[in-house]
Amino acid sequence: MNAAPALEVKRLSIKFGDFTAVDDVSFAVNQGEIFGFLGANGAGKTTTIRMLCGLLTPTSGSALVGGLGFGDGGLGIKKIVGYMSQKFTLYNDLTVGENLDFAAGLRKLAPAFAKKRRHELFELIGFNKPLSSKVSQLPGGIKQELALAAAMLHDPEIIFLDEPTSGVAPASRARFWGLIRRITGLGKTVIVTTHYMDEAEQCGRIALMRTGRLIALGSPEELKRSAFPGPMAELDFKGAEPKPFISALEKAAGLLELSPHGMRWHAAFADKAAMDAALAGLPPSAAAALIQPSLEDVFIRLVEGAER
Amino acid sequence: MNGFNLHRAYSIARKEVMHILRDPFTLALALGLPVMLVTFFGYAIDYEVKGITLAVSDQDGGPAARRLKEMFSSSGYFLPVEAVPGSGPVAMLDSGRASAALFIEPEFSKKIMGGGAVQAQFVLDGSDNAKGAAVVGYLPGIQRAAQARLAGQALREPFSFETRFLYNPELNSRWFTVPGLAAIIIGLLAILLTALTVAREWENGSMELLLSTPVRPLEIMVGKLAPYGALVLAGVFFVYLVARLVFGVPFAGSHLLYLAACLLFITAALSQGLFISVVTRQQQVAMQLGMITGLLPSMLLSGFIFPVESMPKFFQYFTMILPPRWFMAAARGITLKGADLGELAVPFLALGLLSAGMLALALIKFKTDLE
Repeated sequence: MNAAPALEVKRLSIKFGDFTAVDDVSFAVNQGEIFGFLGANGAGKTTTIRMLCGLLTPTSGSALVGGLGFGDGGLGIKKIVGYMSQKFTLYNDLTVGENLDFAAGLRKLAPAFAKKRRHELFELIGFNKPLSSKVSQLPGGIKQELALAAAMLHDPEIIFLDEPTSGVAPASRARFWGLIRRITGLGKTVIVTTHYMDEAEQCGRIALMRTGRLIALGSPEELKRSAFPGPMAELDFKGAEPKPFISALEKAAGLLELSPHGMRWHAAFADKAAMDAALAGLPPSAAAALIQPSLEDVFIRLVEGAER
Repeated sequence: MNGFNLHRAYSIARKEVMHILRDPFTLALALGLPVMLVTFFGYAIDYEVKGITLAVSDQDGGPAARRLKEMFSSSGYFLPVEAVPGSGPVAMLDSGRASAALFIEPEFSKKIMGGGAVQAQFVLDGSDNAKGAAVVGYLPGIQRAAQARLAGQALREPFSFETRFLYNPELNSRWFTVPGLAAIIIGLLAILLTALTVAREWENGSMELLLSTPVRPLEIMVGKLAPYGALVLAGVFFVYLVARLVFGVPFAGSHLLYLAACLLFITAALSQGLFISVVTRQQQVAMQLGMITGLLPSMLLSGFIFPVESMPKFFQYFTMILPPRWFMAAARGITLKGADLGELAVPFLALGLLSAGMLALALIKFKTDLE
């Protein structure tokens, strides 16, 4: 069981009319992994996840989710995965208990099993309010955690989270990611989409998507290494006029990427020699510091760079 | 991989009931609308016009004139008053002291005795055309009766004219409208509420969550619609009770047949609501569409207020595709005439076909949209 990947996707595509939303995507996810999808809006992250949950039928390609394919219209997959959509969490006008009972009813869980799972999940997410609490009166972070509990009530091995922390306060986001790590610690596989770079950094591996295509795949470190094989410098002009230097730098040999970050600039080079040559003409008041590229730099280089 | 699962449908239905119980708008609409409609149509709106003050200018004074006046007063609709000499009937009409006037020419009685043609002029206040139309409707009956009585007295009353209205002998408009209210309640409530509830699931994204579970589209549909079907049926039952107990409307036919007609129409209405919600996916638009396509056909094109027979030809055919028209025909036939299924074969067949068609359309649209 441990040897088989949780998810195996081969050349998956889906078209809506003339529009190809997901284009020839292949990857595999190991059991117990946190696998992230990173990409701009409309890049195909959500569509990919919806196919893998059995909500959409692919136009071509194949996927094995927990060993099951789409042969039965996704019904088998729906039984073994948990899914939390980005838009909806729980019914606000119902209580916590009613929401969970509803989730249990939809999956025909035995009452004793549902009760046991409820206790386990409440412990996992640290929920200690009464079951009769109205969902509308709970803070956003707790709602999100309860929604995750509802998606996991049937004890799925694979859990899909579609932008689970959008619209949640930063402190609650960190808490939620702690929860994701605890879940994968239990041997579950979590597939998550996000557009927060700090969240993507916490994934075991990241699939970077752009206009329906998977353009890079690897751990955050691997992505950074492959996107930026040479050094990266952060330039701080400290009040000096950056324009003349920047326009000269843009033409420098061996420059891989140049992008503004607030008042500062990030410049990546093919190697150290190219960097030293290009930065020789830096104004005296300005400073250059060697930095590690962030995922945001990777995103800018791979996603936005390709769009230029 | 079996088909329909009752347990899952029940879970959805139970959740829906909790939504209804906690949503003041739905509850108020579902409970308030039947009460409001019954009050409006039972008490406020009365198509009958009674006690019309009739100013009489009798320039004859003979026995035939007296008899003619009696005809008017005994009809129950008119209260004849002698016009005050000096200020004629027209003045009474002008001042609003009378709504109609009757002029009887001099030697009216004498001419009748002689077998000649006579005329009496009837003048009506046309400023309220609804009232006027009702009054005009009474005239032919009175005229025919008067003709028979006045002309025939020399003979041995060859035909005493007597108009008898079948099924609703008093032409009591409540008997006519209150049973029809079920059509309004089903047409509006069932369509509007289901359009809203399913659109709400689309709008807040919970439909996606439902579909990520092994639940089937048909189970969602049954679970979502059944509570509203029950709610609407309760509204119909309420109207039935008020009609019977408060207004004393007779129920001549089979209750079972009436229930069958209600269920068929409810099915069509719920399906229509579902269809609207699948197409719009937004509560706002669904509400407007539900109102228009729910209320207007039931209210205006079903024969509830305006008889289908007096509509322009186009509408007479157009209403054939509207379930409320056939429900109205079946409901009135059952309640007032005591008609059986054989006599109501056409409305029932039409209602059944339209319901099945609507249901199939909604289900197909619902299923294809989910995939």
